[in-house]
Amino acid sequence: MTTAPSQAATITIDPWDPGYATSVTADAVAELDASSVKLDLGVELPAERWRPITPPPREAPPGGLIVADGVRRIEARVWAGDPSGGMPVPGIAASCAAGLVRCVPGGPAALADWEVSRSLFTPSPAAADLVTRAGTYTAVRAPGGTAEQLSLALQRRLSDLEVTLATRYRSAAAQDDLLIVDGPLRGRAHLPRTVGYVKTHHAAYLKDAQAAVLAGLKPGQRTPVFLMTTSWERHSWYLRLPTPSTAPWAGIARCEATADLSRKEAADLADQCAAVIPGLAGVGYKDPRAPQNLVPIGGLEKLLRHRLGDAGILYRALRTAARGA
Amino acid sequence: MTAEAAGGGGEVVGRVLGTQTATPLSFWVGLEPGTVVQLDEVIAARREVPGRGEVLIAGVVTNVEARHEGAAYDSDVFLISQGVLPAAVVESAEVTVTRVEPEVYVPPLPGTVARRAGDKDRERALYFDVMERRLPVGLGRDGEPIHLNMDFLDGTRGAHVSISGVSGVATKTSFATYLLYSIFNSGALGGEAHNTKALIFSVKGEDLLFLDHANNRLDADARESYRKLGLPVGPFGSVHVFAPPRPGDPNGTPHVTARTQDVSPFFWTLAEFCEEELLRYVFADAEDERAQYTMLIGQVAARLKHAAKPAGDGGAVRLGDTEVCRTYEDLVGFIEDTLTDEDSRREWGAQLMGLGTVNAFLRRLRSSVRSLSPIIRGDLAARDDRSISTSRTQVTVVDLHNLPERAQRFVVGVVLRGEFARKESTGSARPLLFVVLDELNKYAPREGGSPIKEILLDVAERGRSLGVILIGAQQTASEVERRIVANCAVRVAGRLDAAEATRGEYGWLPPAARARATIAKPGTMFVGQPEIPVPLAVGFPFPAWATRPSEASHRAPSDLSGDPFAGLTAIDDSELPPF
Repeated sequence: MTTAPSQAATITIDPWDPGYATSVTADAVAELDASSVKLDLGVELPAERWRPITPPPREAPPGGLIVADGVRRIEARVWAGDPSGGMPVPGIAASCAAGLVRCVPGGPAALADWEVSRSLFTPSPAAADLVTRAGTYTAVRAPGGTAEQLSLALQRRLSDLEVTLATRYRSAAAQDDLLIVDGPLRGRAHLPRTVGYVKTHHAAYLKDAQAAVLAGLKPGQRTPVFLMTTSWERHSWYLRLPTPSTAPWAGIARCEATADLSRKEAADLADQCAAVIPGLAGVGYKDPRAPQNLVPIGGLEKLLRHRLGDAGILYRALRTAARGA
Repeated sequence: MTAEAAGGGGEVVGRVLGTQTATPLSFWVGLEPGTVVQLDEVIAARREVPGRGEVLIAGVVTNVEARHEGAAYDSDVFLISQGVLPAAVVESAEVTVTRVEPEVYVPPLPGTVARRAGDKDRERALYFDVMERRLPVGLGRDGEPIHLNMDFLDGTRGAHVSISGVSGVATKTSFATYLLYSIFNSGALGGEAHNTKALIFSVKGEDLLFLDHANNRLDADARESYRKLGLPVGPFGSVHVFAPPRPGDPNGTPHVTARTQDVSPFFWTLAEFCEEELLRYVFADAEDERAQYTMLIGQVAARLKHAAKPAGDGGAVRLGDTEVCRTYEDLVGFIEDTLTDEDSRREWGAQLMGLGTVNAFLRRLRSSVRSLSPIIRGDLAARDDRSISTSRTQVTVVDLHNLPERAQRFVVGVVLRGEFARKESTGSARPLLFVVLDELNKYAPREGGSPIKEILLDVAERGRSLGVILIGAQQTASEVERRIVANCAVRVAGRLDAAEATRGEYGWLPPAARARATIAKPGTMFVGQPEIPVPLAVGFPFPAWATRPSEASHRAPSDLSGDPFAGLTAIDDSELPPF
């Protein structure tokens, strides 16, 4: 390990496959604070009268469905040297991409907007942007050097990108559409006509009788809307997607909407989602995460992953750049 | 250089793909959305090569593909059309390179802009720029003319045309006549065109008897095609038709119903038959050459030549002391008598032949009587116009459709031998004689030998230097003698039978063209010529001459005055019957 005389930290690429770094997913981040959850079950129906709700059939909104999602990939583990001669600190070079797919009834689903961001996450204050021939990795300060902390920093970066993109789209287009955001609504609750779509469940929020209602949902049915408060407040409801499985949690997804909605608005939005989302459900033999992983989300992830670029080429570019620096 | 800098001036269609390997011989182009490229279009790309300057890499589209990018399963198409799964429709075209100029064989780089070839690039891609004498063979898919290098047709660097295709839909005969029309009228032969002759053997009905009548079904589109090809619109200028004599008619008038002007009967007199030793052509079917009786043919023919004395001016012959043969049947009877009689057989030198051999010969000779009687005569009045000759008019049509197959073979063999001998004796290749012969597989089959096959082989191998150019057509090139097909510089295929298309004889058609040839529409032909590495699909225009009685307009008086011989023949015809 050599120390460069310049002020900027020397970057060395670790030869280990980046896949060995642990990862923390988006949903896990969202539910890290699940322990302190507070529920108000009586938003739509009083808690004791909870029952599965069959939404009236509804068309998709004329402005179309907008589906937002992001993908991330750690491309290399790096070591950032200390210009003042201290120990090098670990970091990761990673890319993430966020995008929006617009599904308009009768038209093709099209990629409405997308953006790729490449960053170098390290706790080293001296780390500078790493310029490679495949793109520039912007230096981002991570809170710590453990794999979890670095991964979390990457996840923050992706969330920011998703929020930026969704906000940009919402401010440009003001049509009668519905924005479905993959993952929790955190940071985007202020956007109108926007629903967070959570497909993995790290905690069972509903208990007792309400949990029984959840287990008794038939495909296409939803639970009543409830208000959920963790570090922030939002409306939420569960929904069962079409699935041949009869397991209690099979095909269950949770939706989130802003807490600013009135009781009626929230119920209306929940009905709309429950009517529209099952039509987007994937099938098991095509997608291991079906049915919760919606078809537009699967397609969008594929497109975005493609736009991240070839991992092998990026890794090579990183090594070449680090050697030259 | 400004045109070069602008990329040859063509419209941009897309970019060279990097996901498919680009080679100097073929590359793929991703098409820009909204751009349509079809098969056979000419695409050009350019690449800057250090030290050599700009290299033009141009070729013909041989495949076009459209697919959903981003779809992994077949059922994704429904999700995509429902607007649920994001995916893009992409089209890409495969370009088979025909020309690299200058000759630096480098692939176009992925991402390079590909253009629809402008006029100049198209000329270069298809080698029209190096053709000094061009023959328009039809219009390409892009509506622009496709040319054939006359050097490969008139014997300068190559000769002969082989046209293959399924009967009825491949329009082989129409293409052959169109080719003749183009040869005569395009100016590719210069002043020589006037003296150039064509000999057409017509085996299918009376379609070819109206070549000198304008087609009244010709529409404006077809006229426009002729204009684009640089050809005048009109029928053939001077045409003479020979037809066999009408059965039972003592005057020997031609057996044609649809045509009255410029028609002559054709037949051979018995005197000619004996004198010119035409007996060989009676046995012109593809029998095994090694059969014993073939030795007898030469012997008998020589004896006939020696023994036959003309009797009267009708072509009858006196054989031996007393007998006068007036019909072919008489002659066959005489040969039969002579060979069955012990003494005379010895006299004719057949004593060494076994009786079985003699009988085999006679059996075959006897079976020819019904077929050949109408055209080997000694009972008709002498006529000046009855021998087939190409000297009278530019196009000579020999109508064979009323004759049985054996007689057709006899006529083709004898006429070709005559024309070939005449060309040989003049010692000059010019003026050219084009011979159009359909069903080549019947006359020059791959298996076995026959006198006609020998003549055709002679034409194929030496005709180039003698100025006899064969335009042969056949349903199946795989059944035609290899050396004939191999000698054809220009290969043409219309609609092909799927099984036939897989044969090695169609190796000049790349797989995509072969597959297309099985669905080619009438009027579409694939033309392969030595200079261009891929066959070009051409559409040739609707005939400007009538192909059936209902299409024939009455010949305008100007046509008659334009052809000084047309009137003369007509008068000859009307004067002759009294004799």
